[in-house]
Amino acid sequence: MASFAGLERSALHGLSLPGHYGRAGTTGVVIEERTDLALASIIGKRGKRFALVNAVNTAFGVALPDGPRRATRGSVTFAGTGPDQWIACAEGSEAPGFAAKVRARIGPFAAVSDQSDARLVLLLRGPNVRDVLAKGVPVDLHPRAFKAGDVATTIVAYIGVQIDMLDDAPTFQLSVPRSMAGSFWSWLTASAAEFGYDVITR
Amino acid sequence: MNAPHRLASGGLIDRAQPLSFTFDGQAYSGFAGDTLASALVANGVKLVGRSFKYHRPRGILTAGSDEPNALVELRTGARREPNTRATTAELYDGLVAASQNRWPSLAFDIGAVNDGLSRFLVAGFYYKTFMWPAKFWELLYEPLIRRAAGLGRAAGTEDPDHYEKAYAHCDLLVIGGGPAGLMAALAAGRAGARVILADEDFRLGGRLLAERYEIDGKPGTEWVAEIEAELASLPEVRIMRRTAVTGVFDHGQYGAVERVNDHVPVPPEHEPRQRSWKIVARRAVLAAGALERGIAFGNNDRPGVILAGAARSYINRYAAAPGRRIAVFTNNDDGWRTAADAHAAGIEVAAVIDSRAEPPGQFAALGIKALTGAQVSHVHGGQGVQAIDVVDAAGQTMKIECDALAVAGGWNPAVHLTCHLGGRPVWNEPLAAFVPGAVPPGMHVAGAANGALTLAECLHAGVAAGAMAALECGFPIASIMVPSAQDEASAVTPLWHVKESRAKSFVDFQNDVTIKDIALANQEGFSSVEHLKRYTTLGMATDQGKVANVTGLAILADVSGRVIAEVGTTTYRPPYVPVSFGAISGHHRGKDFRPVRLPPSHRWAAEQGAVFVESGAWLRAQYYPRAGEKDWLETVNREVAATRASVGVCDVSTLGKIEIEGADAAIFLDRVYTNTFSTLPVGKSRYGLMLREDGFVMDDGTTSRLAPERFFMTTTTAQAGRVMQHLEFCHQVLWPELDVQMVSVSEQWAQFSIAGPRSRDVLRKLVDEKYDLADRAFPYLATKEVAVGGVPARLFRLSFSGEMAYELAVPARYGDGAIRAIMAAGEEFSITPYGTEALGVMRIEKGHVAGNEINGQLTARDLGLARMMSKKKDYIGRVMAQRPALLDPDRPALAGFKPADRKARLRAGAHFLSAGAVATAGNDEGYMTSVAFSPMLGHWIGLGVLERGPERIGQRVRAYDPVRNGDVEVEICNPVFFDPEGARLDG
Repeated sequence: MASFAGLERSALHGLSLPGHYGRAGTTGVVIEERTDLALASIIGKRGKRFALVNAVNTAFGVALPDGPRRATRGSVTFAGTGPDQWIACAEGSEAPGFAAKVRARIGPFAAVSDQSDARLVLLLRGPNVRDVLAKGVPVDLHPRAFKAGDVATTIVAYIGVQIDMLDDAPTFQLSVPRSMAGSFWSWLTASAAEFGYDVITR
Repeated sequence: MNAPHRLASGGLIDRAQPLSFTFDGQAYSGFAGDTLASALVANGVKLVGRSFKYHRPRGILTAGSDEPNALVELRTGARREPNTRATTAELYDGLVAASQNRWPSLAFDIGAVNDGLSRFLVAGFYYKTFMWPAKFWELLYEPLIRRAAGLGRAAGTEDPDHYEKAYAHCDLLVIGGGPAGLMAALAAGRAGARVILADEDFRLGGRLLAERYEIDGKPGTEWVAEIEAELASLPEVRIMRRTAVTGVFDHGQYGAVERVNDHVPVPPEHEPRQRSWKIVARRAVLAAGALERGIAFGNNDRPGVILAGAARSYINRYAAAPGRRIAVFTNNDDGWRTAADAHAAGIEVAAVIDSRAEPPGQFAALGIKALTGAQVSHVHGGQGVQAIDVVDAAGQTMKIECDALAVAGGWNPAVHLTCHLGGRPVWNEPLAAFVPGAVPPGMHVAGAANGALTLAECLHAGVAAGAMAALECGFPIASIMVPSAQDEASAVTPLWHVKESRAKSFVDFQNDVTIKDIALANQEGFSSVEHLKRYTTLGMATDQGKVANVTGLAILADVSGRVIAEVGTTTYRPPYVPVSFGAISGHHRGKDFRPVRLPPSHRWAAEQGAVFVESGAWLRAQYYPRAGEKDWLETVNREVAATRASVGVCDVSTLGKIEIEGADAAIFLDRVYTNTFSTLPVGKSRYGLMLREDGFVMDDGTTSRLAPERFFMTTTTAQAGRVMQHLEFCHQVLWPELDVQMVSVSEQWAQFSIAGPRSRDVLRKLVDEKYDLADRAFPYLATKEVAVGGVPARLFRLSFSGEMAYELAVPARYGDGAIRAIMAAGEEFSITPYGTEALGVMRIEKGHVAGNEINGQLTARDLGLARMMSKKKDYIGRVMAQRPALLDPDRPALAGFKPADRKARLRAGAHFLSAGAVATAGNDEGYMTSVAFSPMLGHWIGLGVLERGPERIGQRVRAYDPVRNGDVEVEICNPVFFDPEGARLDG
């Protein structure tokens, strides 16, 4: 019988080898791919908003955000991505079978689909992270306009991207359709080269 | 090496940093802080180019982006940039520039015969001369005109530099870094607003750099440095030099181009040459200043004729003397300032010719010869000014020797950006200029751009506009001192052209438009200013008539007996200055032109040497050639034959995949598909057909029921996005009352079609043993959530090829592993990977419709799918599909086609004609939609739509293809060529 163990491939397989690139001697941005996250899309069922909020609160201890914000409890996060739409994200021990767990807990009130493999997820931080993102992100990421916990769904280099600001470092999390990972990587690295960038793995 | 026209002292140049450069192969030297134009002026170079049409010798007219004449080819080889304005090109060491539109040399240009032929080359000559015969246009006239008239040459090879786009956001965008802009930025910046100050120059200060003004008792440039230092210290103020704001767009969006590395020979590694910005600003202050205009008189285009304000720029900013003996021709007070500054710099001033009777008193003390009520009627000298003719108040002509003539025709506020959203400037009689009318929402105009021409007015207006903008953004202003400056004399009495002139009097230098051309256009009926522009080309090309436009329409007003306000202006459109294609495309060129989607097996397919084909945004394996195969057809034949004989595998991840959930999901599907899905059992798939509202077929695919309220829909690769949009529209707009949720899962699943008689044997080695794959347990159209090596997967018994076939979906991270595992499991059955070509051949052999048939012009009935149109329910497109014309029995309908001579090749796109019918559109009976060489039948086969096709099986028609000289007799047949009973589906 076939075994797929060890055959997982990241969306950037072969593209993102750890190291320093671009301008020598300076690191303007650090790029890290997250391959350990489990993702699930959640769409509220008609007329079940109150029940859904309660169910999420009961099951995960998270107040479901109303609007483009993130709410995190432990290793589970819910990010608002549209009217009655969220992306839930889990890491660590919560990750395996996450979508099924979410479905089991809130299924009567929301449609849940596994999206764990649908996206390239990158963490970006460093002194020039906003300068790099400004080369493609149409959203205002200035500290006065976009704060830790804010979420935006937008278009970068003609590619649909979800941007979450995780903390005030600042750390930005970018989620990109998996099939377009190569094109996105091309834009990102071209944009970051001016400042020098490190690719790291955890 | 000292340049002959370099003044001994002064200027904002760094004399400690000499820079060498060449122009037309001749070596020169300049200093850091020079532009190419100022360095040429300092070196006494007057002749810098040839005009567009008449090839007249031309010199430097301005000192900024309004330059019509001094266009050069900058750099060499792949970096050669045509039509670069010497006046904005910063000098760097080693700069190489060449003049353009001349042959064999700038000084001796054969094309100058056009000047003598000018009576044939007047306005509209293209339209009049090259009318007949029509076929000569493409072959003869256009190439000739293109060779004779023109600008610089493009590099012709790929630009080695990279360009990028960027976004910026602010409370206040200040456009222009002169006195008004600096004060606006400071007022808002001190209040804490996020401010962007953009200036196209490499140095802030605007006109202050070119003048000898004092502010707060300090030299203007010193004051600029202090303000600049304070702005730089404010954390929320961003100064963008070398950044031209080029356009105003809706909702406070501004386009800008930053010339990041145009001032160095080669951009530093990893840096772009230029960056195009989209700036989103809550408010803007337009402080773009004013642009000087000329006066039309005989030979006013000779090298050495320069605008008076530009002359001051060269003298004061660059310490470069435009001449050794300068005359000034003015209709306003400001022209006198050029005489005064030249005088102060030690340049001889031959005379000031003021068309007005009363010159301003304050310059009398300088002792400069003044001719009042006088006009310059003619310039002597071919390739440089030698003397001028002046007609004095008494009508007497005198000749004055000089080597440069500064012309002061008055100032036009730079209203351009106020007009980009449809605003029209309004004529202001006292200023004799257009000033902004209705301005774009959120924009304030300050300083000279608003008609406030004196320095004191500019400083005041800048503070007021900056403070107002900040306040509107919620930043209260502390009181701010307006710096003190003089209100200098600025009176003007318009003079547009000198009527006594006999020689050509130019209005638009760049397009060689003279006052005669304007009069001729008016005479021929082109009296609307927009018609004038098209007929004469006045105001076109790289400078967009910045110097010429107002003069041109003033002359039009004159010759048409109207006032200027009546004539109005042409429409100002973006961009304000030329923008390179590099900056527009940014990162997105070559393979980055648009995003490419790669299916999960792409890396593996590339390793196999697959040939790829673009399919929408996807790059899919088209076929997998093997060594020794002579062409694609041999490869595709092998892939088809191997799949039908044993087993093949194809990546079908590119199909759109949508999960549809909710209590009303089945009702929703019944409404969007022509056939019924509410009856579909859990664990089953069904083929579905979707129509557009107008009754034509939109898409097809399969939908599986995963749970009572949960479905999984697939769409065609090409229509995936459109179907998702359509479903969202249906839900959000048509039936918001339905409880249905939908989400794309296209990216989540890697999906492979495993087809052929041995497909089950391959799958048996992959799918975990507890899942029964036997035909009885998992028949055709079954679907099930399974596991492969413990990994959750979905299995579908679907077939596009007509073979027993499965689609196996695994999470995308296992896609690469899955194709390798499938190939390993299938090795003993000689599993063959196949691409989109073999996929196409097999579906044509089976008569399945695809994109070629679902082309937006055919109905379900046309495609022989009328049986799928349910009569028991309503669905999108049902009513419109019943329109009489769509039910016409003569409408072409789907049939199969075989060449009568089995060796003949068929071509898609061929049209059907009855035997003996003349090949006219009237006799057209339909067309071939898809063809393939069938390895199973051993000849070409085709699908197509033919009038009453299904009723004519066995008859013959011609497949006529005039584009490729094809004319083949074909036999009409059943569109299912292979295994018409479908026996192979069950294995």
